Amino acid sequence: MTTLMDVKTGRKAVVAGIEGSGALRRRMLDMGIVPGVELEVMRQAPWGGPIQLRLRGYYLAMRRSECAQIAVAERI
Amino acid sequence: MDKVRIALIGNPNVGKSTVFNALTGSNQQTGNWAGKTVERRSGLAHKEGLVIELVDLPGTYSFTAYSQEEVITRDYILRDKPDAVLAIVDAANIERNLYLVLQLLEMTSKVVIGLNMLDLARSTGVDIKAHELSRILRVPVVEIVAAKGQGLDKLLQAAVKVGHSDALKSLSIPYPPELEEKIQRMEEVLKNTGLAKRYPLRWLAIKRLEQDPEIGQEWEVRAVVPVQAHADACCSTGNAVSYDLKSTEDLPGDVLLSELAQAGWGQEEMEMAFADAKYQYINQILPVFKSQVHSGLNLTEKLDQWVLSPIWGYPILTGIVFLAFWVSFILSAPLGDLVSQGMSGLAELVVGVMQGLSIPEVWQSLVRDGMFAGVGAVLAFVPQIAIFFVLYYFLQDSGYLARAAFLGDRFMQMLGLHGKSFFSLISSYGCNVPGIMATRTLEDPKDRLVTILINPLIPCVPRLGVMSAVTAAFFPGGQGALVLVSLLTISILLVMFSALFLRRAVGQTERSAFVMELPLYHLPTWRNILQLAWVRTYSFLKRAWTFILAASVIVWVLSSFPQGVPMNESWAGTMGSWLEGIGRPLGFDWRIMVAIVFGFTAKETTLSTLGILYGVAANASQSIARAMTTAMTGLGAYTFLVVYMLYIPCLATVVTTYKESGSLRWTAFGVAYNLLLSFAVGWLVVQGGHLLGLH
Repeated sequence: MTTLMDVKTGRKAVVAGIEGSGALRRRMLDMGIVPGVELEVMRQAPWGGPIQLRLRGYYLAMRRSECAQIAVAERI
Repeated sequence: MDKVRIALIGNPNVGKSTVFNALTGSNQQTGNWAGKTVERRSGLAHKEGLVIELVDLPGTYSFTAYSQEEVITRDYILRDKPDAVLAIVDAANIERNLYLVLQLLEMTSKVVIGLNMLDLARSTGVDIKAHELSRILRVPVVEIVAAKGQGLDKLLQAAVKVGHSDALKSLSIPYPPELEEKIQRMEEVLKNTGLAKRYPLRWLAIKRLEQDPEIGQEWEVRAVVPVQAHADACCSTGNAVSYDLKSTEDLPGDVLLSELAQAGWGQEEMEMAFADAKYQYINQILPVFKSQVHSGLNLTEKLDQWVLSPIWGYPILTGIVFLAFWVSFILSAPLGDLVSQGMSGLAELVVGVMQGLSIPEVWQSLVRDGMFAGVGAVLAFVPQIAIFFVLYYFLQDSGYLARAAFLGDRFMQMLGLHGKSFFSLISSYGCNVPGIMATRTLEDPKDRLVTILINPLIPCVPRLGVMSAVTAAFFPGGQGALVLVSLLTISILLVMFSALFLRRAVGQTERSAFVMELPLYHLPTWRNILQLAWVRTYSFLKRAWTFILAASVIVWVLSSFPQGVPMNESWAGTMGSWLEGIGRPLGFDWRIMVAIVFGFTAKETTLSTLGILYGVAANASQSIARAMTTAMTGLGAYTFLVVYMLYIPCLATVVTTYKESGSLRWTAFGVAYNLLLSFAVGWLVVQGGHLLGLH
């Protein structure tokens, strides 16, 4: 499975699904991460820090472990 | 007079508080939502002979049952049924903002939208046509610029009008056929039940399909701590109340739910399908009212290229933190001195009048050395506290603090802390009480408890003030700076150690999370910042004439009686001699021990207590510290600084810990942990110092 973790900085990807359950998954859904939405990886904080994304015209920061829960199909 | 009740909702960072502050002015009340540790703000506005009660609901992204804020918000809308709901929407971020509005429209039709930050949206090349949005959603949409107060009158008028009218036929979000079919089946099951009388049927059906756990729960509010004005010394948080689950209704529809689950529509699929469908609908209507005028790098992206850069991000962060502390401590020093001088001048004046009235010397001493000295020493910290919180809220409102959390999250993650703990720990440098209150935004109770318990290890502004005065007296020049840096390093190391240790102690096994919006940068409004900073400063001020006045008088009495004996034979001296045994391994004399005990009421009293015990004018912090140099060695002073920084912060913090954790056991644990840790580290410093041949 390709996840958001595999998307390089500056690249875009389309969400295919979200793994996991409970509050965290629901939070991601509510923030607009649903299947079909396009995400852009803006930058990564150094030393394995969080990742900055752009989606739906706003910016979101998430830890890598959360990004690993998001299945994507990469787009150029 | 006619009264209209209007609730304010919106995503975080959309200017909701700005709207609330502008509409209600100083007519505000702050408290807690019954049984919850979520702040409740309400206020009054007057318009054309009407009294309008505005209730500021917590900023949320959704209305799920997963967080306290969201439950409170939706409960208020559904159960308390306000006359109208004002939804503040960020035009620059319209897609995600409308997601909340769509959920709101499923609960009530009496909605008015305040379209804010259209100027910011236009600067990023986005334009929104308010009338088109209004036509589609079938509710009034009013353009506002909350920061400048523009459009707010119109907004309020529209809300009052909606409040007076009957419920309108509201927009019903068209879901895809496979969802509509399930909603209808669930509606069939629910329509003749008691639940359907309390909630809108369609909303209820959707929540039931999502298996929302909160539906059907009845809660009972029970106060556990009686109202006590002084229990609330630092920051007004309302009363501690417990919130007990009274009964859980057996919900109808289980048969249908299990049937759907077997067909591959379990809770997770349902949640995803409904979130997806709402966003699909937004995407579908978006082109009607939103247009991209131009694109290109906006201000936020330009700034973030530097602010979040792997190379420049950290130097900028360090620079801003350094600047913030420099302004709060060094630049504010003359103001603090001015307060001190004012207080001692005032004391002389009052004592002069007392002499004129030939009031006995004892009473004169009580006023001068007890009351004015103690309160004055504390009031000198007011400028520092005020400036710190003005800067803190400026950084928060402007959007920078979220970036700082982004950069600092690697560190939080290493400690197993939730990303949002960062905000709590930073504001603890101002005062531990708001720091502990800031943990309210953490959803996981164990994450919250860990963060609450490590907060006291962070030295607050008054503690840092006392520490720098003592440091300056014992370690002049560059040595002093080195000492302070080493002390701060010790505190950070202990925060790290404690975070890891307390996670074990609390039994937290869940992985901590971090999903945070990085808002667009914008210039905050001064009104908002000053208002927030004033709340913090005022609660500190309030302490001065409650706790601190009482503590100063008690110290004065203990050290002045029996009269005419040397200080070490006074009551305070006797008390100190009992405590000397505990202090001896650390090289503390009885005065230090007494000061440590009294520091518990409020740490900023430590200097004035020492002043009284050393018999120097207590409103000049420099001279107190200098008096200590005759009684202590360098190593002794350093040990004192370490213990002072780490032991129980103050009564207000302990009270807040109890209120926020709701557990006497964990509060006691926190107190014991701080005491043991401070004396253990102090002992290590003494032993280490001896080994190195220091004295």
